[in-house]
Amino acid sequence: MIHWMAYASFAIVLWGVNGLFMKLGTNRVSARSMVIWVTLGFVVLLPFLCETTTLFGLSARVILVGLIAGAVNGLGNWAVFACLEKGAKASVAIPLTALYPLCTIVLATAFLKERPTVLQWLGIALAVAGGAMLSYEPAAATVQEEQLNCAQ
Amino acid sequence: MQTERRQFPIWLWYALLCIFWWGLWGFLSKIGSVAASPLQMQILFTLGMLPVAIAMLLQMRGKLDRNAGGIVYGLLSGIVTGLGTLGYYAALRDQDASVVTPVTGLFPVLTVLLAFVVLRERLNKVQMGGMLLALASIVILSI
Repeated sequence: MIHWMAYASFAIVLWGVNGLFMKLGTNRVSARSMVIWVTLGFVVLLPFLCETTTLFGLSARVILVGLIAGAVNGLGNWAVFACLEKGAKASVAIPLTALYPLCTIVLATAFLKERPTVLQWLGIALAVAGGAMLSYEPAAATVQEEQLNCAQ
Repeated sequence: MQTERRQFPIWLWYALLCIFWWGLWGFLSKIGSVAASPLQMQILFTLGMLPVAIAMLLQMRGKLDRNAGGIVYGLLSGIVTGLGTLGYYAALRDQDASVVTPVTGLFPVLTVLLAFVVLRERLNKVQMGGMLLALASIVILSI
């Protein structure tokens, strides 16, 4: 039997490599084109998924929620590609956008009446601080200084 | 030499927009997964992405970028994300989500390493510190 850690490592490697593919892709085609090609990549896996399971028995409400979730996921994909297209480093954009569970917790608190635990509050604080630090790029003054140094 | 002073660069707006959309996706997944299995949700996600892709194609008036490298990386991006998700679900069969999710949430470390080697990207010290805090928060928030 394969250990769960092997499956988890498989996910880490593929998702980690994906960050690189996203940047290499947006270096070559527009963010909107990337959304289309990536969606086709997901569609390639659809026959395998349909062989494993069916949507039979699901309520119309659950199907609708799942479809809307897919649509907003697609919009998120477009936003991350646009972010990379506009010059973000993959090493900044990928860890930064991986902070999205922060938004999920906020929405769950607002609409599902869930209350964050003390540990989650710590996670939220670290996410906000980490996100702010990740997005820190040297100010224009520093860039000018560097250019002056280069000129000299 | 004039340099445009950008305290809040445009890429950062898109990153925040992405966090919002993916955060909403996580929220809706939470609601849907009460009744649907992860694989059923994955099928619905894929079908739900199609209208967005079609809307983008219409917006571009069918003028899709056809750079061979871009197509390959785009298709691979979709395939590896989907396969990685299947690996994640397989891990969930034998272990609790509170253990698996914090582990798999460490994937940005690999992206940063690959970007360092392949793309020669360099983070400043503040960003390095930010990445460590972000990783700690990803682990904590997924427990």
